Amino acid sequence: MIDLQDVSLRVGRRLLLRGIEAQLRKGEFVALIGPNGVGKTTLLRAIAGLHAVHAGTILLDGTAGNRLTPRERARRVAFVTGDEILLDALAVRDVVAIGRFPHHRWWQWHAFGSDRRAIARALSAVRMEGFSGRLFATLSAGERQRVWIALGLAQQTPVLLLDEPTSHLDVRVAHEILGLLRALTRAGKTVFCALHDLNEAAAYADRIALLGEGTLLALAPPAQLLTGALIERVYGIAMERVALSGGRLRVFAGAPRDAITDAAPGARRNQEPSA
Amino acid sequence: MRTFKAVVLIAIVPAAAAAGMLVGGTPLTFSQILSQLAHPHATGVLHTIVWQLRLPRVCIAAAVGASLAIGGAMLQGMLRNPLVDPYHTGVSAAAAAAIAIAVVAGAATVTLPAIGFAAGLGAAVLVAALARRGSGIDSNRLILAGVSLSALFAAIVTLVIVRAQSYDYATAILAWLAGSMAGRDWHDLTVTAPYLGIGALLAIASVAPLNALRIGELRARAVGVDVDRAQWTILASASLLAAGSVALAGLVGFVGLIVPHLARRIAGSDARNLLPACAAIGGALCIVADAICRRIVAPAELPIGVLLAILGVPTFLYLYLRPRATGQNVAG
Repeated sequence: MIDLQDVSLRVGRRLLLRGIEAQLRKGEFVALIGPNGVGKTTLLRAIAGLHAVHAGTILLDGTAGNRLTPRERARRVAFVTGDEILLDALAVRDVVAIGRFPHHRWWQWHAFGSDRRAIARALSAVRMEGFSGRLFATLSAGERQRVWIALGLAQQTPVLLLDEPTSHLDVRVAHEILGLLRALTRAGKTVFCALHDLNEAAAYADRIALLGEGTLLALAPPAQLLTGALIERVYGIAMERVALSGGRLRVFAGAPRDAITDAAPGARRNQEPSA
Repeated sequence: MRTFKAVVLIAIVPAAAAAGMLVGGTPLTFSQILSQLAHPHATGVLHTIVWQLRLPRVCIAAAVGASLAIGGAMLQGMLRNPLVDPYHTGVSAAAAAAIAIAVVAGAATVTLPAIGFAAGLGAAVLVAALARRGSGIDSNRLILAGVSLSALFAAIVTLVIVRAQSYDYATAILAWLAGSMAGRDWHDLTVTAPYLGIGALLAIASVAPLNALRIGELRARAVGVDVDRAQWTILASASLLAAGSVALAGLVGFVGLIVPHLARRIAGSDARNLLPACAAIGGALCIVADAICRRIVAPAELPIGVLLAILGVPTFLYLYLRPRATGQNVAG
């Protein structure tokens, strides 16, 4: 589905990521994690064709992304971001309908039956059918996030890239969104999703991609990646792991390394888990 | 409701055109006008009044109003800024400065529209060059470049007027600055029509990208919009439409800024509906305003820009700022 071959990315003159090698398979949920500023968003944008690749190749279904026209690329990869912008007087269905852009020629102004069906399916998938006529601006943060996902689904792409879809959401809505994405992978869609919450990644992802130190350090199943020392090194913080029934894993962050080193024994027990 | 709005928007242009054809120094009945329109190759005074005086002015007013409103709506959509109008491309100020210099230099009156058009388009190209970022356009730089160059050109106009040796020069320049369709004929329209036509075609090509840009530039790129190309197309379209309008009628303010807001209130922000609504409202508004300008201080004429500002701005402020009931659902 997605094949990253020795990919390097720059932001301005700074080399942000280098030598990334990864393959994402059909129907797989891959969580992208790493500290703030490591390049998660930039990598997702590069795959979506929204950020130039400095070196290497990104193959989308076997074709180099930079050889595709914007419309062709948007029929293969959908990028969902939760950045807030002002949307005045746009109904939910109008927002989702914009996802049909890559399926139209420039002179094709009007919605076809296939467009209406795709929009209805997308709204149904995120359980927003009843909100079709609602003004986008009147929705809650969780509802807006669902609409952005519906927009990506309306593109009918085999791959869905999401940039922190659970940020700013309460715990229930966050898990609803992730459950929805998990269900999409069962239908054959590949989901590549930047997350900050390690437990969300552990609970929903097939594999976790860990960015750090300017490259992709690991791409492995959650149980393997979260139990190693690498994760502590990248985040610079001690981790406590708790194995739950059914093989589930939960990770709790301790104090930052410096604080742990300096603090008296027993101080860690008073630290409140932050992840 | 949507059908009713569509019918109203379609009906206002012929209604305004009828009003525009009826108003003038010589009283004509509606049947006399229809009779003359039905016989384009006839002769006589009435034929001349209808075919050579009133019809070209109605057509020019419609073209100017529609062009400015469409250009304004496109730029507001592209830049996501409700305070932008087509003159932010630097077109109007450059045209005014060039015409002011041409008047003082003794250029023939008949050449002024062409000079204004060329200068306006040249300024638009300069603003576009200053706003360029990579292969696309930086919205903030475009606005800053447009406003800055407009201020520079406005200063040149002021300087020329202050230094003009003749009161007539200043009067001629001010006539352009205030906007007027007096003395325009079919020749002016046919010379400008190709540029307005190209601008309109580029506007049609921009409809789908404009709709996608409503959710922001990044997301528009993500759904496959070639944003760089769309920005250049929109800017070229707005510049051609504005330069053509300036050549036809001088500086007609208000329309490019305000009509898109009114049209958005009626037709929504979908460019498929918004641009035709802008054309209808802008065209009808200019036709009616031109008719009032011809009548209100007859036999003299009021500058259309002045009338539009005096009557239009309070009307707009009332319509736009009055408290509204806000529903949670969008009709239709």
